[in-house]
Amino acid sequence: MAVVTMHRVNICALKKDRKRILEELQRLGVVEVCDSQGGEQFEKTDTAEARTIFEKNAQQARQAALILDDYVPEKKSLLASLEGRKTLSLADYDAYSAERDEVLRVAYRLTALEKEIAEKKADIIKLEGQIEALSPWLALPVSLRYGGTKHTAAFIGSVSEEMPLEAIYARLAEAAPELDAVNVDILTLSKEQTCVMATSHKQQAQALEEAMRAIGFARPASLPPLPPAEQQHVLEGEVLAAKEAIEDAQNEIISYAGTRNAMRFMVDYFTLRGEKYRMLDKLAQSKHTFVLSGYVPVTAEKLLRERLELNFDAALEFYDPAEEEDVPVLLKNNAFSAPVEGVLESYSLPAKGEIDPTGIMSVFYYILFGLMLSDAGYGLLLVLGCGLLLWRFKNMEEGTKRSLRMFFYCGISTVIWGILFSSYFGDVVNVVSKTFFGNEVGIPPLWFNPTQDPMRMLLFSFALGIVHLFFGLSIKFYMLLKAKQFKDALFDVVFWYLLVGGLIVLALATPQFSQIMNVPFTLPALAGTISSVLAGIGAVGIVLTGGRESRNWFKRILKGLYSLYNISGYLSDILSYSRLLALGLATGVIASVVNQMGSMGGKSIFGVILFVLVFLAGQAINFGIEVLGAYVHTNRLQYVEFFGKFYEGGRRKFEPFAVNTKYYKFKEDVSNG
Amino acid sequence: MDKMGIVFALLGAALAALMSGVGSAIGVGTAGQAAAGVVTEDPSKFSKVLLLQLLPGTQGIYGLLIAFLTLTQIGILGGSPEMSLTKGLLFFAACLPMGIVGLWSAIHQGKTSVAGIGIVAKKPEQMAKAMIFPAMVETYAILALLISLLAVSGVGRLTI
Repeated sequence: MAVVTMHRVNICALKKDRKRILEELQRLGVVEVCDSQGGEQFEKTDTAEARTIFEKNAQQARQAALILDDYVPEKKSLLASLEGRKTLSLADYDAYSAERDEVLRVAYRLTALEKEIAEKKADIIKLEGQIEALSPWLALPVSLRYGGTKHTAAFIGSVSEEMPLEAIYARLAEAAPELDAVNVDILTLSKEQTCVMATSHKQQAQALEEAMRAIGFARPASLPPLPPAEQQHVLEGEVLAAKEAIEDAQNEIISYAGTRNAMRFMVDYFTLRGEKYRMLDKLAQSKHTFVLSGYVPVTAEKLLRERLELNFDAALEFYDPAEEEDVPVLLKNNAFSAPVEGVLESYSLPAKGEIDPTGIMSVFYYILFGLMLSDAGYGLLLVLGCGLLLWRFKNMEEGTKRSLRMFFYCGISTVIWGILFSSYFGDVVNVVSKTFFGNEVGIPPLWFNPTQDPMRMLLFSFALGIVHLFFGLSIKFYMLLKAKQFKDALFDVVFWYLLVGGLIVLALATPQFSQIMNVPFTLPALAGTISSVLAGIGAVGIVLTGGRESRNWFKRILKGLYSLYNISGYLSDILSYSRLLALGLATGVIASVVNQMGSMGGKSIFGVILFVLVFLAGQAINFGIEVLGAYVHTNRLQYVEFFGKFYEGGRRKFEPFAVNTKYYKFKEDVSNG
Repeated sequence: MDKMGIVFALLGAALAALMSGVGSAIGVGTAGQAAAGVVTEDPSKFSKVLLLQLLPGTQGIYGLLIAFLTLTQIGILGGSPEMSLTKGLLFFAACLPMGIVGLWSAIHQGKTSVAGIGIVAKKPEQMAKAMIFPAMVETYAILALLISLLAVSGVGRLTI
């Protein structure tokens, strides 16, 4: 239920133990290493070069693993991601690391092969373009470069319009009347293009060229040496060769499928080594000794001391971090509250001097989530689903486990609220009994049914909201007391308690209010009088103290009035809890709508089949959407309404030097050079 | 004129489903385009961006809810569809918050979701924050749902 106290630790040891001490620390995973300062006889090493190599190797292996995944997809079940990392035995570790040069060679080969495939594919596209360009010229028995015989001149060209033979002759005569002996052969004629070969006497070569250009003909852009049909044959051969090369490369990649696990191992192996070298950078080293400085949670001090002092010649020193240091945060909570740490983390971790609100937050989190989902059927689905996954995949990653546990507890709360409000997949009991058995049976609610009495539910939502907000305020009160800021505690919390609390009691003592809101009771008038006095004291106090940082009295009162305006903030905060009713009703009513639609087939075989289908599909969709909604809006109520009252946050998370691998867990005593 | 009551009541129900449905379609559509863009770069973010895309979809469901509730209240789905003009207009008015707020909020929630998808594309670990921004917009759809819900069930009990 708290933020774990952090200590600074200095470890001084002999250089000969450096590697083993770092490995020990990495395995323990309890120290966040920071830049260590020694005296002048200490200096830093720069391992950037070695690290670059490790990172490059890791990157290479990662790339190779991705290529293998692309070409030889692994058969994975839907839930494979829950299985967690496999633990690698010492023998496997040694076997893998012994063949790391070979594996790296394969990794480079794989990337080269992929590059080759990409290049060949580009080649094929280029070749096919060339083949396409040749297709109108296939009828030509000579090369496109052909210029004529000894006595004749030839012009080979195309125009991008449809031009029949007569038209060409007519236009030629018009453009160049002096041209007397011309023969034009049409090779292809289509709407878009006309390809021709024109021949004339050698002496008129120039005139022919000009005349053809004048009427729009142009020589083809590329002029292969072979006649088009032969050239096409050659190109097709090249395409075939490229395709074969691609297939060969693919087959070679597939033949390496067995190295997938080795690749993954390499990713982890080089990441770890890189990480360790990064730590080396932070050490202060003298000729024979080194100093490592870092943060360690108080709870791990004893373990750390035992492990290091027993096995090595090392001296450890623990002390409180200085006031201005940016100390990382580690949270520790019991099994019930710890699952919502993730929710807190994604908002912000507690700032210096702030307490860890996870404990109180978790209770409200489960309650609010349950109220929004509020259906025993859906709750049971959540409990069974999460419970089954947690039970089946014990090895799953910590983060996933935490979320599943959170939804497990949320599910329990949902079941309880569902029973209190009598919602079982909406009203499935009533609908089934009425439609198929002709006799409507319902499970009476343990408390009341919000669909029939929404005002009561709305009141309950507001009441719960007020409790939630007041808890937030009380945490602020506690933190101010702890920091010995008694005046602030009075001005910023007690006055607000008086004002908001007083106004609420006053409202409850007013008969008109009770009537409008359907409150079943009205407080005696005396309570109203007392509470109005208290609210008045609160209001006056806020006006007088709200702007106390200003020296000028006039300014101070103005600022105080402005902070009194904050009361509208409280109003909107409380009203915001109406989403508890809205989302709860939405779950129940949509589920009932689904049931009603399903029961439209009546009492028959067909009716039963229809009901089952509609029920399964409809309830599944509603379940998904409502769980998403409940999750998002519970977070919102915590972040905006609850945290807004007391919490700022802002420190960073404790990130110890540890074994952060992606694919494998390594056993204790592996050596990683 | 006596028969016009049911017409207005049905018009209200239709508008609630129609306008919030249109809004959600636009919102989910906008967010879906952004989500597809992220998936082309990194298919592993599919489930995350899908959640963000779905957020503006709730208005359509709330609209359906109000429409269905109104239909059962006015007797279109079995029962007697007889009501006064006043009551029909009351139903019509009761449906308006859901329809109008549903339309507008879903469109804007869609735009906010697009921005949230942008967050996830660059910093997938900030998923929770990316979901909170669209949820802020949804608050107003929920408030409208609440009022329409209370109004429709309240009008149903009136005898005018």
